[in-house]
Amino acid sequence: MALHEIRVINHPWIPDPKGQDVLYEIQHALGLKNITRVTTARVYRLEGISEKEAHFLAQNLLAEDIYQSYCLNEPVITNAMAVVEVAYKPGVMNPETASLMKAARDLGINNLIACDSSWEYGFSGPCVTTADINLILRRLLVNETVEQVVTSRSSVVGRQTSEEKQTTSRPTGWKPVLPNAYPASGRQDAYPTRPLTLVIHGSTQKTKIIPLRAMNEQQLMALSQDKLFLDLEEMQRIKDYFISLGRDPTDCEVETIAQTWSEHCIHKTFKARLIIDGREKIPLLKRLQQATQKINHPLVRSAFIDNSGVFEFYQGWAICGKVETHNAPSAIEPYGGAMTGSGGVFRDIMGTGEGAKVIASTDIFCFAPPDYPAEKIPDGCLHPHYLLRRVVAGVRDYGNRMGIPTNNGSVHFHPDFRAKPTVIVGAYGILPVERCHKGKPRPGDLAIVIGGRTGRDGIHGATFSSGEMTARTIEVNASAVQIGHPIEEKRVADAILAAGRQGLIRAVTDCGAGGFSSALGEMGAETGVKIYLERAPLKYQGLAPWEIWVSESQERMVLAVDPAKADRVLAICQALNVEAIIMGEFTGDRRLLVSYHGEVVCSLEMDFLHHGWPQKIKRGAWRAPIFEEPDLPPPAKWEEIYQQVMNHGNVCSKEPIIRMYDHGVQGTCALPPFSGANSDAPNDAVILTPLLGQRWAVVISHGLNPVLNRINPYYGSIWAMAEAVANAVAVGANPQELMLIDNFIWPVPEENFLGALDLAVDACVDFAQATGMPFISGKDSLSSTYRGKNNLVIHIPPVLCISAFGRLPDVAKTVSADFKKEHSQIVLVGCRNPIEMAGSVYYDLAGYIGNNLPKIDLTILPKVYQAIHQAIANSKVLACHDISEGGLAAALAEMCFGGNLGAVINIPAEEKAENFMFNETAGCFLVELDQKINPSSLFADVPHKTIGHTVSQEEIAAYRQEKLLFALPLAPLKKAWQRPMKEVFGGSITA
Amino acid sequence: MPPKVCILRTDGTNCDLETFYAFNKAGGESELVHINQLRQGEVKLAAYHILVIPGGFSYGDDISAGKVLAVELISFLKEQLAEFLQAQKPILGICNGFQVLVRTGLLPAGKLGSVSAALTANESGRFECRWIKLKIEKNNYIFTRGLDNKVIYLPVAHGEGNFYTDLVALNNIEANGQVIFRYVDKNDRPTQTYPDNPNGSLNAIAGLCDPSGYILGLMPHPERFTEIFHYPNWRRSNLREPQGLAIFRNVVHYVKNS
Repeated sequence: MALHEIRVINHPWIPDPKGQDVLYEIQHALGLKNITRVTTARVYRLEGISEKEAHFLAQNLLAEDIYQSYCLNEPVITNAMAVVEVAYKPGVMNPETASLMKAARDLGINNLIACDSSWEYGFSGPCVTTADINLILRRLLVNETVEQVVTSRSSVVGRQTSEEKQTTSRPTGWKPVLPNAYPASGRQDAYPTRPLTLVIHGSTQKTKIIPLRAMNEQQLMALSQDKLFLDLEEMQRIKDYFISLGRDPTDCEVETIAQTWSEHCIHKTFKARLIIDGREKIPLLKRLQQATQKINHPLVRSAFIDNSGVFEFYQGWAICGKVETHNAPSAIEPYGGAMTGSGGVFRDIMGTGEGAKVIASTDIFCFAPPDYPAEKIPDGCLHPHYLLRRVVAGVRDYGNRMGIPTNNGSVHFHPDFRAKPTVIVGAYGILPVERCHKGKPRPGDLAIVIGGRTGRDGIHGATFSSGEMTARTIEVNASAVQIGHPIEEKRVADAILAAGRQGLIRAVTDCGAGGFSSALGEMGAETGVKIYLERAPLKYQGLAPWEIWVSESQERMVLAVDPAKADRVLAICQALNVEAIIMGEFTGDRRLLVSYHGEVVCSLEMDFLHHGWPQKIKRGAWRAPIFEEPDLPPPAKWEEIYQQVMNHGNVCSKEPIIRMYDHGVQGTCALPPFSGANSDAPNDAVILTPLLGQRWAVVISHGLNPVLNRINPYYGSIWAMAEAVANAVAVGANPQELMLIDNFIWPVPEENFLGALDLAVDACVDFAQATGMPFISGKDSLSSTYRGKNNLVIHIPPVLCISAFGRLPDVAKTVSADFKKEHSQIVLVGCRNPIEMAGSVYYDLAGYIGNNLPKIDLTILPKVYQAIHQAIANSKVLACHDISEGGLAAALAEMCFGGNLGAVINIPAEEKAENFMFNETAGCFLVELDQKINPSSLFADVPHKTIGHTVSQEEIAAYRQEKLLFALPLAPLKKAWQRPMKEVFGGSITA
Repeated sequence: MPPKVCILRTDGTNCDLETFYAFNKAGGESELVHINQLRQGEVKLAAYHILVIPGGFSYGDDISAGKVLAVELISFLKEQLAEFLQAQKPILGICNGFQVLVRTGLLPAGKLGSVSAALTANESGRFECRWIKLKIEKNNYIFTRGLDNKVIYLPVAHGEGNFYTDLVALNNIEANGQVIFRYVDKNDRPTQTYPDNPNGSLNAIAGLCDPSGYILGLMPHPERFTEIFHYPNWRRSNLREPQGLAIFRNVVHYVKNS
């Protein structure tokens, strides 16, 4: 088959922003000044069509001659000193191919059998060396997990076939630099040359019987270590089960059990019997669930049982929320990992009740600082600068394309995230109350799979390079992280909403980790289910039945549908270009029965599958570390320290990230992440009005402070919750109507870290009881320990990320954080002990952690929340901002930035000025009140103090005992605050 | 009878519901129509008074933004579109819809199948989501009647909004008065400076119409400013009217009176 290469480039007089962006990165992130120009071009490979048809497609689809030109089977970047193509590895799904195929068909070209697209980069400058190109490829352009550099075949550009013109001569000046040091680990001859075909062939592998019954302990563990990740007790349990059945299991059965019993799916630690300090305590998950039950909140509709937690909104509507982590995939392939993380959590919302509409997305990341020295990054780990940019790009491209606003999030930096970053993605949805309960399939219902096709994505250990491939073996990276396909998921979302609206869905869930095995196994747990695997639409042939069964291909959902309604579901899917297949039916025999072309590949009792695993006993004890408690002299230069605090990674403006997320799509945003006189001042939470034309509002916020958990996981966790709720209350949320979601991202919970986890859960229970806020969803990810060469062990600072969300009857009764006018009073509301400085940015800048961390008083905190809410609800508050990282200083500065206003404050004589300014006790607020309002009329029952007033002069002036301590103009503070993320994301053009 | 509005959807369309709401609030009767329904003949464009191609990522912005849907329109709906225009029925393209209209050739020249301009990648190289100021040019067209020289706030949210055409075409567009919206700076002057001009568009062009004036495309999102609290700074401004709504009202008004 003919394979044509079309290269498209912008005319020389048209800007090449992608090239400029890469150049900026080369010069700024890598510091290479010898490259001064980067040119980019698109490469399309089209198989099966004639040269004439290739020209036709180039002219009518791929290039627009108003601003582009193209070349067919010839180089297009002809004036660069080095040209390199970066393409997806074969087998990695390129979402663009489906559009290429469709558009070609729409243009009447029906013989296109395969296609692909990629990018080509040309580099020029005074000195372009192979070493530099390799560094650029490795650090900026190629992720080896999914991408590869494609070199020209025998240095000949274009392809040589008998039927086509050979392009053996190169235009002058065109000189490919073959990267010979890249990949770092690989051999030079590992470079794939340009493909001769794009078609992937393969024949189906057979189901194997695993001789489990005859295995001794060693053999069982060897089997487990290879791919199952179960411990000996679990392996023995499986062996005993099959001995009792009198047969050996199939590979599919073993895989199914391993997947169902995996930590990821079953949360063994959270369900384990717990011995803490020699004393048995209630299992972690049960403790959280009991706390929620005890609160018995009237708005809760579904907690911990469905794919997300649900509470009642207004007028027959409910709101649901779910927050997930996607750490490991994002660490390997940040773009694809973040995309599939977003895609997964959106599907959790789509699969809640009888289907929900996703209305918001949140993202919270923890990385090492972006300027962390590259040589200190452990082997096999990606640099945080690259990770941050690529994760942001993944979240951006999934959310934006699906049309889901991403409008709440944060980024935290700590060096100990250098090996294992934390990537948290949340999603929220709306659905009718009458369809908000988790559906239950009935015997006879059909199991319908809709959405994307199944491939070898996310299957552990599988490889695709085998003799069963074509003679020209195509390397397929089987365990590749996928490149998400948000448009596929958008179609699926639309189909589910349409089917749900017509009452056609009995139950719905998503295919996430564990694929069909998990989704169908769980959905049919109470009934039993029979599945015909050969019906599954595949991306390519050659998958073994067990691979189809556990594949984690994205963008698939499973529906349970009454057979009488199935035709309508299939029709809806067809109308929306969604592939839908009846994969089987729910039975009444409580068995999981999977067949493949008539052969039974899995026959297991649901009872054993879901309840057969041995409960763990876990022992832990937390021992408080002792950090040096600094005794710092008062700041010598206030200007310097104030700027340093504003410039700190955990305080600085994240605006460049937010600008790349579409936070206004759906027309629901009523308080964006940034607003104020220059639209660059942050708000504490997002407010949405999800029902267009109505004033009912949803508030979403979050809080976390990993480093505090190192000092004391109990108070660190209280801080995270206090912060999450304070963020919501600061914009007007009603603390009586807020729900919480917990996400624990922890080092492997051995002894000490299990003890820490136990304390964090105790903190959650205490906070819930003190405030009356229930936890309605949560997730744990307990594997953030890195073990590298030379016994290098890195534990992340334990992360408890708390998300808060709730409802408000009138969006008009909310506030933003920007100061509104001069002569207003600035009131500090809340209870804090300023000497509790441990874990603060101020200490961090001095190189300390400290021990004396903020210990938030849970008897006072709820009253503070209530008072702030009441004051805002009564329209008495002009602006409000909560205090968190960077302390009062950061909060005050941000309020000033938002108003183009300054402030004059008085620091109490009895407090150290630096503690007053930089203490980070959460649950405290700065409130702007009109000068005529008596603060005590609003805050009589809670600690409060008028600390100053707003002024028109744009500076922050602080007095202590009537002496001017400092007067700092806003502009340099703002510059320091904006600089770090502008440097990471600024690109060639900045505001 | 309220004018019937065809909100055209396809894979990846995602601003359809807020556009639906905007037209209904403006007095129209919105209907979501999937391109498949038009291709299969279940629905005819002639049944509608207004056609809107809303924002989003039709077919994932694959190849170039709006291209795949433009190909589909040219290949399958050429006659219906021609009839629609013949009847002087308005067509509106917002953001991705504007990109589609340019890639069909309907904008700026009004020639279906003949591409004469492009919306290329933002000069910043990035997707940009921010509120910007727009000046409405003095013109005589239906979409902005009564709004001459007004300055309004609207959000943009796009990665490919950089309007480009050759000098001859640009001169024609200007001479015909086809430019309807321009990005302006804080002094309300058209600007090429980022971020007031968020993408680097020639002549600060944010939106324009075809020579007949019945086809309008714009990058900013008027459907995202149909309630006062959509404006990020509604808490600190004295705006009384959501400024995106007027455009929808004008279109509906035109149909009702024609």
